[in-house]
Amino acid sequence: MSWKPELDELARREAFAQAMGGADKVKRQHDAGRLTVRERLTRLVDAGSFHEVGALSGIGEYDAHGRVTQVTPANCVFGRAAIDGRPVVVVGDDFTVRGGSADASIAEKPLMAEDMAAEFRLPIVRVIEGSGGGGSVKTIETKGASNLPGGIGTTRGFWRMTANLAEVPVVGLGLGSVAGLGAARLASTHFSVMTKASAMFVAGPPVVARLGQALDKQALGGAEIQTRSGAVDLAVDTEDEAFAAARRFLSYLPSSVHGVAPVLPSDDDPQRADEMLMSAVPRDRRKVYKMRPIVEAVVDRGSFFEIGRNFGRSIIAGLARLQGLPVLLLASDPFHYGGAWGAETCQKVVRMVDLAETFHLPVVYLMDCPGFMIGLEAERSATIRHGVRAMAALNQTTVPWCTVIVRNAFGVAGAAHQPAGRFSLRYAWLSAYWGSLPLEGGIEAAYRADIEAAPDPKAKLAEIEERLNALRSPFRSAERFWVEEIIDPRRTRALLCDFARLAEPLRTPGPARFAMRP
Amino acid sequence: MPTITVNSEVAGNVWKLLVQPGERVAADQDLLIIESMKMEIPVSTPSAGVVQECLVAEGEAVGEDQPLLRLQVG
Repeated sequence: MSWKPELDELARREAFAQAMGGADKVKRQHDAGRLTVRERLTRLVDAGSFHEVGALSGIGEYDAHGRVTQVTPANCVFGRAAIDGRPVVVVGDDFTVRGGSADASIAEKPLMAEDMAAEFRLPIVRVIEGSGGGGSVKTIETKGASNLPGGIGTTRGFWRMTANLAEVPVVGLGLGSVAGLGAARLASTHFSVMTKASAMFVAGPPVVARLGQALDKQALGGAEIQTRSGAVDLAVDTEDEAFAAARRFLSYLPSSVHGVAPVLPSDDDPQRADEMLMSAVPRDRRKVYKMRPIVEAVVDRGSFFEIGRNFGRSIIAGLARLQGLPVLLLASDPFHYGGAWGAETCQKVVRMVDLAETFHLPVVYLMDCPGFMIGLEAERSATIRHGVRAMAALNQTTVPWCTVIVRNAFGVAGAAHQPAGRFSLRYAWLSAYWGSLPLEGGIEAAYRADIEAAPDPKAKLAEIEERLNALRSPFRSAERFWVEEIIDPRRTRALLCDFARLAEPLRTPGPARFAMRP
Repeated sequence: MPTITVNSEVAGNVWKLLVQPGERVAADQDLLIIESMKMEIPVSTPSAGVVQECLVAEGEAVGEDQPLLRLQVG
């Protein structure tokens, strides 16, 4: 007698899992323009690589003879798979079963996915829809008691949500409406993506309506809101683009903090000298210029992957390659307050610098920063508090740095261009200039008595300005050895590739001295 | 013909209006210049079209996300 009856039952039970919430619910998901969780996981990973764990879990129904008639699968699907041939953990919410909420979840499943990522040192991609396994009001009735958030037996998931940020790359994809615990799982990542049709919020429109705010999902937590607020890093048009973004993000990172990122072959000439760089920065210092083409000109062709474009926009941040070596790239955007750092920009710098430190990525900073933001709004938003926090994050890094001063370096924020107290590489373009304060506005403060005492204050101001202008040439600073090198901007790529070669063996696997916070 | 609103990405003052209502503009053309942090920051249009209305005047203070111009796209 063989085990054929059990094998048949296994197949039958696996079919329950494949059916998810049933044909009607699957149709509803498709009619709304969204994929099911199983379709999502299949499209996210390398073809045929998904190996599910716990497919049989759910709530079974039995007939009078104890034979199973139906199993409603648990609404978390997870397992291991491969992306670009590298092993990963993927975990997704099944919205076709009770909207992904706790009523139909088995809390151990998403937790095991996180544990597997940590223990096997694998990146984890969370595909999130609904409340992400969080409870609803209905849970009180289904469980017969009210859950204490953070109560006995419930905290390990929250602990992992934080702990994994210091261990493995964590990516979140928000596909559909994402609320409560789902929103927390999406935001508590190194990189988060949502489709433009999706929405994320702490609580959705019906709850918010009780506050007197009549907002639809998009107005409350659409992509425009969440990417501008910095809660989500990237918005894309389709779910397939979200999967592609996740795969691309992971391609720049090691599988865990216990390794270093793979270096890919590059056919881009490290000596490539783009002529455009000689005229990229206008001579008129009031005129702005586009930094993104400069970035493209100096990194490996097509390798720049921007993160958080809509948030903290004075800094352009992302991952790039130099001769195939992944680096974190920061660059100022003069179109946004001349590149001055406000509170949001400082928050972005902290997060990006922490990402680099966590995963041992060398940092390249193309700098044009006239200082911290000034004015009443800047004071109200605690710019200086966030500013010194950004400086602290930068100074706590141990990864190699290379800074290129493209134009401005002024004030305290000007000092935040490489880690203090240790050696880094630094180059200044011919267009660079610096000081404690920009002359414009700074002269009135420093020479007030002289100007007020002069018979013609305006003429006195112009005279002082001319005098100081003659002294602020970067060549005079180089003469004093206050800056190491002034370079032809066309040499930038060659020097950055040289930096990459020097930095590559310095990357040191292991946990960072401090754990990254989301 | 759809209408779009071009908003300011930064807080500052309108330094120069470069277009007038009724004027045809090309995609990426600069429409006006905002002075912010002592810099001249041009604001361009994402699409070609015709300027319907200027919502701000030279010298006016503007905030982040404030609508600046309305354009008929096409």
